[in-house]
Amino acid sequence: MSFTEPAERVALREAVAGFAGDYGAQYFQRKARAGEYLTELWAAAGKLGYLGVNLPEEFGGGGGGIGDLAAVLEELSAAGCPTLMMVVSPAICGTVLARFGTPEQQQRWLPGIASGQSILAFAITEPDAGSNSHNITTTARRDGADWLLTGRKTFISGVDVADAVLIVGRTEDAATGRLKPALFVVPTDTAGFEARPIEMDLVSPDHQFGLFLDDVRLPADALVGDPDSGLLHLFAGLNPERIMAASLATGSARHALSRAVAYANEREVWGRPIGAHQGLAHPLAQVKVELELARLMTQKAAALYDSGDDAGAGEAANMAKYAAGEVAVRAVDQAVQTLGGNGLASEYGLGAAIATSRLGRIAPVSREMVLNFVAQHSLGLPKSY
Amino acid sequence: MNIVVLVKQVPDTATERKLSSDDNTLDRAASDGVINELDEYAIEEALLLREKHGGEVTVLTMGPDQATDSIRKALSMGADKAVHLSDEALHGSDALQTAYALSKALGTVEFDLVVLGSESTDARTGVVGAALAEYLGLPQLTLAGKVDVDGSAIKVQRQTDYGYDVVEAQLPAVVSVVEKINEPRYPSFKLIMQAKKKPVQKLAIADAGIDAAGVGLANATTETVDFAAAPPRAAGTVVQDEGDGGVKAADFLAEKKFV
Repeated sequence: MSFTEPAERVALREAVAGFAGDYGAQYFQRKARAGEYLTELWAAAGKLGYLGVNLPEEFGGGGGGIGDLAAVLEELSAAGCPTLMMVVSPAICGTVLARFGTPEQQQRWLPGIASGQSILAFAITEPDAGSNSHNITTTARRDGADWLLTGRKTFISGVDVADAVLIVGRTEDAATGRLKPALFVVPTDTAGFEARPIEMDLVSPDHQFGLFLDDVRLPADALVGDPDSGLLHLFAGLNPERIMAASLATGSARHALSRAVAYANEREVWGRPIGAHQGLAHPLAQVKVELELARLMTQKAAALYDSGDDAGAGEAANMAKYAAGEVAVRAVDQAVQTLGGNGLASEYGLGAAIATSRLGRIAPVSREMVLNFVAQHSLGLPKSY
Repeated sequence: MNIVVLVKQVPDTATERKLSSDDNTLDRAASDGVINELDEYAIEEALLLREKHGGEVTVLTMGPDQATDSIRKALSMGADKAVHLSDEALHGSDALQTAYALSKALGTVEFDLVVLGSESTDARTGVVGAALAEYLGLPQLTLAGKVDVDGSAIKVQRQTDYGYDVVEAQLPAVVSVVEKINEPRYPSFKLIMQAKKKPVQKLAIADAGIDAAGVGLANATTETVDFAAAPPRAAGTVVQDEGDGGVKAADFLAEKKFV
């Protein structure tokens, strides 16, 4: 067992950290407050191959693993640029299409996802289904060779910058009449595709949308892969999603912690840096411990996933997402406390992080649902729902 | 056009750098090694010239085993191959001996142009490029802020206090660059993955025909006699603004020759 990353991963981290340093938290905040997307960062990162490291080389990807992509996102986030659409476009949509898409779908979408020239959003959550993906009501029915897709989705990130949305719906099994999950690639310019922004109290370049689909006509090849294996396709994208969400959270925690440490070293009261006081030092040390534990579990989940152990990766990815979501909240909380009034001044960017850091506890799966998973699957406790 | 870039591994300027009290040479264990910053500009310029004129870019590094990390970094930026001159006998070599050793190592590579940073962040002598050109008997074009190659002619803008001079020479030549020249690229993921497969030729001094009597601490032409830690930064001057704060600030800047 090795607890050091391969030399190439370390070199990748170093390269991305340098790259992200040219943008930094100020760029991110400026873009977010202006309601603009991280267009320059996204395009430049795509050119350097950072956005598609996990995708197959034949489609312009880097041929690496989710662990490599997670390293990229962690370093971007640590530099103050948590690039949420990396979780969605290359990690979820890229993985699902690379593993299960038809050759035509792969040719159509993967090169763009890998280079960053195309962005795919992902739509699973529904107003009445929430975390219960078995209750999804968005349904596709056949009309000749076409599909007609109807349903509602909510809290879909980045639809405004996406070329298409990978939508989780259901189709009716011809033999049994039962509904089974199916994934559809829906270009955002499809007639009848409607996305309405949801007003959020978040300073973020990534906007949230509700989707309204009323008999949206899709060609036969909008269905991803094999119609009988939709659930498998769906779950293929969820472990990468959790690993990436965890990496965004640990990176953001690193960013907040480094701000706090720098301030605690510089700021002097009564002739000593405030970091000399254990009342401030110990909570920061505690965050550091929890951060490293969360990073370790994230790396384990990625290593298991990249080795092909989907089941083992599932437990580790859930635990990593939980731990990372918690430490991101704690890191920001303690950083704000360390900076005092400056912790809430726009200049330091931490006030906005109070809200955004909560995302890791809520999405892509809530802390409570992760605990349900661990209670039921890891501990063998009865299912509560 | 084949280009050799000289890359030196130096202690990271962001960390505390130390000399070893045993022999007054650099304590390499005290801080992480990184590519000398100006050498990254040299690598970038070599890559740009290759993109324009074709050929190969070879990295040449003189340094101990751990300099391999810096060689990998240079390869991941896009250089084609590397030569690593590494020998215990080279330890403690001064700038002149380094130039001599590099000139011999360059004898094992075919090149039209040698590019290097105009100085290193550790020793900061800034003479290796000039001494190297002398050893090789080649024209030197120093402090280049812009390089143009046309056939066998090379023209650079040599940065000066008053602007720049235009200096021309015939290839092969040695060019030292300043940071104005370009913006070094970040390694792409593909090149990072390819870097470990690129050839790195290891040379001991005998392989390069280097005379052991011409290198190393014992034979050095200069000597570090003593060293001391930099004094702690003194407190700054506090000016009370009594209506003349602007004048005092301007006087201060003038005194320090900023204006």
